[in-house]
Amino acid sequence: MGYSELIKNFSRIRAYIRSFYVYGFRHRGDFTEKSARSYDNERRRVESWLGDYMKFGQDADGRRVFLSVDSRSIPENPLYRAFRTKSFTDRDITLHFYLLDILKGSGGLSITEIMDELTDRLLEFEADDLPDESTVRKKLREYGSLGLVTVQKRGREKVYLLSESPVNLSAWGPAAAFFSEAAPLGAAGSFLQQRIPDQFDRFRFKHHYILNALDSEILYELLTAIGEKRRVSFTVRKNSVTVLPLKVYIGTQTGRQYLLAASLLGKRFSFYRVDLIDNIKKGDICEYPPGLEQELADFCSHVWGVTGNNSSRLEHIEMTVFAGTEEGHIVERLEREKRCGSVERLDDTHWRFTADVYDAFEMIPWLRTFTGRVTELKCTDQRVPDRFWKDLDEMTLMYGEDTNAVS
Amino acid sequence: MLFHEIYSTYYQTASVILREAVRGALTGRELNTIVQKYAFGESMLTIPDGMKKKWRLLRGDFSTPLREEPSLPLTTLEKRWMKAMLLDPRIQLFKPDMAGLEDVEPLFTPEMIVYYDRYSNGDDYTDAGYIRHFRVILDAIRENRNLVISFRSGRQMERRLTVTPYYLEYSEKDDRFRLIAGGYKRRMMINLSRIMECVPAEHGDRMALKEASEDTVTFELEDRRNALERVLLHFSHLEKETKRLDENHYRVTLRYDRQDEIEMVIRILSFGAAVKVTEPESFIRLLRERIQKQKEFAT
Repeated sequence: MGYSELIKNFSRIRAYIRSFYVYGFRHRGDFTEKSARSYDNERRRVESWLGDYMKFGQDADGRRVFLSVDSRSIPENPLYRAFRTKSFTDRDITLHFYLLDILKGSGGLSITEIMDELTDRLLEFEADDLPDESTVRKKLREYGSLGLVTVQKRGREKVYLLSESPVNLSAWGPAAAFFSEAAPLGAAGSFLQQRIPDQFDRFRFKHHYILNALDSEILYELLTAIGEKRRVSFTVRKNSVTVLPLKVYIGTQTGRQYLLAASLLGKRFSFYRVDLIDNIKKGDICEYPPGLEQELADFCSHVWGVTGNNSSRLEHIEMTVFAGTEEGHIVERLEREKRCGSVERLDDTHWRFTADVYDAFEMIPWLRTFTGRVTELKCTDQRVPDRFWKDLDEMTLMYGEDTNAVS
Repeated sequence: MLFHEIYSTYYQTASVILREAVRGALTGRELNTIVQKYAFGESMLTIPDGMKKKWRLLRGDFSTPLREEPSLPLTTLEKRWMKAMLLDPRIQLFKPDMAGLEDVEPLFTPEMIVYYDRYSNGDDYTDAGYIRHFRVILDAIRENRNLVISFRSGRQMERRLTVTPYYLEYSEKDDRFRLIAGGYKRRMMINLSRIMECVPAEHGDRMALKEASEDTVTFELEDRRNALERVLLHFSHLEKETKRLDENHYRVTLRYDRQDEIEMVIRILSFGAAVKVTEPESFIRLLRERIQKQKEFAT
């Protein structure tokens, strides 16, 4: 089969876009998971969809292709375009437009009436492969599951109707533009946006991780499974997992999304990176084990970020920070960023942050953001202060002494 | 199902072409123009030919057997997503029509989502004054009107300015809206939560929006403990270029808004010794200053 701009399966292109966007340094030869021809085809597709954002670099190892975009400067996530690339057959698109046209304003038609009308319309074209009734039924059933078509009984006959859309879409313009970018599964909002004339394009988004859009299909399965209380099975780096999904944790500073799930017996909570989840399948509905919701609330109140599990012991951490009398913004930072911790004033210039968490080690990046102000750091997991001070020594060596330091 | 051809660019483009054909306004040139405007870079190789031949949607004279302009009812996915948005506290800022969604199940609820590292002092989307200001600004942007705004500055000074509103910027991390406006030959950023009064200006010329001043910072990083992925993902929302120096070392150049320099210093510090800034010297000086102060506390 020849090259096509469209694709059948999203998971393969997901890895390529991710690589072009995150790891812009890779050359053609670095993409060893598939053949060079596969690389050429996928690169050509991405270039076709996202050409405005593709960049090229040349170095000693050859030509590099990468995606670069300041997401703060654009009103819409360009990666949503990748969700508008599903391949289809000639028959799919023919039936799509004719069935919708035939059903529109019809008041409901039986399959025989639909077939007669369809045949009339298509006969004028020089083609001898008219769709048969079972194909049309199948398409109508599919459109029923998508919400485009409804089925009613008229006497003993089944009739198909086009679904009604009583929603006033023009009143959704700015809301759709905003939530398409600022809410989970914004890809669905972007489909909606396409329908709205005179799209509002004056929102901008800071700290906006557009890459999460690529995981929308996985997120859709996870969120609907949580809503339906279904177990899910998936693979993470080739390991098979079956769990009870509970919540989705979204990082506004890390660019990552995580699933928080319980083991099937409900005794152990774990996090899974959504971008590493593949081959997801929803399973049976299952009742939450007794006490799960309370255990979940307890667990969540002792999680700093997205690591740790309730089979490990809680670690206690204390960090004392210096903030001069004119430096209220430092105290404000502690308050707004403390998450499950607490902040207390020790004297006019010292403030203590304390927390009890399942994994204190993951707090280190945040602790480092107070570099220059930490007067004391204690943790029951001694690795935490050890790492903090070791890093400080390394950074001192890296940057050397400051001969012009402001005291 | 998110990945389905009914949402595809090809279907969307075909729909626009057919709309013109039903109106009797389609020509070969118009068809090509629509494909170039709505579809992908190489779609010209497929769509025009498909419409006329394989898909049996256009006759040779660019008319169509369709009788009505194509339209697609809202799908269950779209309606469920809209219903989920009605549960979001920020929906108060808008006035969406809720009719037609009464019996729809939301796709998800706010309780299912945890923004675990979002700042806790975000804007209050239930405050009547805040909602009123947001809507006045939104209308002014849509109508290209100037605004007279009274607000408290970061230094708690009360100010009253006439500005031309351009954008409403939302930060996911801060959970805050800022107005980006032009006026007084400056690019102004005003936190909506600081606005005390906001009304449309009676008249006045539009004032240009000055471009944001940008800076770059370049750092090298060693890929240990998965630092490469963590760093590149963390800064992935910025325009950047990454080069591999050897098997384990990389050089990254980031472009950022000069106003965010302190934030960038803090973010780079969070990666500790995994990241070494190489230029500019002014940025290195800011890092060194903090490290030096910290060393003093350590001793």
